[in-house]
Amino acid sequence: MSPLTDADRITPDLLLRLKRLIVATLHIEGLDPEAIGDDQPLFGEGLGLDSIDALELVVAIEREFVVAIPEGKVDHDVFRSVRTLALWIAERVAQRAPGSAS
Amino acid sequence: MSSAQRSGRDGAVAITGLGAVSGYGEGTAALWAGLASGAAAIGPFRRFEHAKFRTQLASEVRAAPSQKGGRRSSIADRFALGAAREALAQAGLPSRLDDLGCGIYFGSSTGGMFESESYFADLLGQPHRASGIGRLTAQPTCSPGESVARAHGVHGPVQTVASACASATLAMGIALAALRAGEIEIALAGGSDSLCRLTYAGFNSLRAVDPKACRPFRSEREGMSIGEGAAVLVLESAVSAAARGARILGWLLGAGASCDAHHMTAPDPQGAGIARAVAAALADSGLAATDIDFVNVHGTGTPHNDAAEAGMLRSIFGDRLPALPLTSTKGAIGHYLGAAGAIEAVATLLCLLHGVVHPTPGEGTVDPALGLDLVTGSPRALPGARFALSTNLAFGGTNAAVILGAEPA
Repeated sequence: MSPLTDADRITPDLLLRLKRLIVATLHIEGLDPEAIGDDQPLFGEGLGLDSIDALELVVAIEREFVVAIPEGKVDHDVFRSVRTLALWIAERVAQRAPGSAS
Repeated sequence: MSSAQRSGRDGAVAITGLGAVSGYGEGTAALWAGLASGAAAIGPFRRFEHAKFRTQLASEVRAAPSQKGGRRSSIADRFALGAAREALAQAGLPSRLDDLGCGIYFGSSTGGMFESESYFADLLGQPHRASGIGRLTAQPTCSPGESVARAHGVHGPVQTVASACASATLAMGIALAALRAGEIEIALAGGSDSLCRLTYAGFNSLRAVDPKACRPFRSEREGMSIGEGAAVLVLESAVSAAARGARILGWLLGAGASCDAHHMTAPDPQGAGIARAVAAALADSGLAATDIDFVNVHGTGTPHNDAAEAGMLRSIFGDRLPALPLTSTKGAIGHYLGAAGAIEAVATLLCLLHGVVHPTPGEGTVDPALGLDLVTGSPRALPGARFALSTNLAFGGTNAAVILGAEPA
């Protein structure tokens, strides 16, 4: 059996779940979660989030997915877009899943 | 006092724009219509659960302010943004003030306190689940003024006075001094406060809130009504207004301040402190007490405040007092705390513009012991009124007064 690829781990369900979490957590009025692009930048010119949003998002993601986000990971590699976030979360979830000895 | 001095406007600054968000709605037109109606905008409110408080009324801004600001703007921020936008539009100024030498001078008592209270209430209810920590970012009392600065590109001095209920009046005095000194060309002076649990509970604990809508200067008065909203005045030199071709609505002629140094909450019983502030404002404006046509008094409706103010008025106006028209905007819209001086200055200028003194709503009979000519019921025509005094007294003993003049002065 071939190992799971990134694309396999990032399901449409996970992407949508993250988008809904972003909109609900940050109380972004009038934004349809599905209107957020998978690769749209979260900060600056993209979705326009800032450092306080990042703080709230970290707390919300840790709760929702029962993962711990180390301080160093709140960077532009992991928090660049919904897709990069989804990948990082999927990897953490896969690592702790039973039978996923790697 | 020579007429030349009075008309000379030396040291006066022009008022070219007014903005207000009040219990009567958004805008100075709504404020004036409400004030002229003689019906108070004080009643039941919904902002937060208050069934267990000893009083149940406030003056609440019912409609959500149309000026949203950023996602983390507090209600007080949005009130300020709405008032500033209206004032700038009336003054004929652009939305962006980047290179116009503009400063902001604001008063506020509680800034984004309501939003912070909501966050901590959630946190107490769900210690491990509370979210929305961004609600704390608008907590500082300087947040409303700084929100206006960001929205309109104000790069000059941006200052917020936090001396309780004299804050906005003091802020107008600071703006006046900065304009006179030539530090700035244009000032946005004002204030903003929203209803919150802290002030509602605090004034209730002090038994300073009337269970009925407040009744300033009535024999039956039992305290204040708390209100919320914002007001902004555009101030500028006569030269600046003339150069822009702006319509001058009136004049800020002088300001004065003092402190009772007497008690944490009670005013000097004889009103000696506020009398010093009024005397300073008169001297600053080059006017005599006999020049003042009417007074918009602090008039909270607490037994102590109104009696102390009557003492001040007797000492300043002497034998004229029984025939000097007085009004208290607080009888109409409650006490705006850190923004009170701003909304009351706007109300005072609207009175000058319309040539009438707005009535002071409130049940009961005007306290005969105070010997005052309080305008009640309906507006009183005062054609030709040129100069008005507006006073504010704060907990802690700080007092402030400003003198406004009609155009033409």
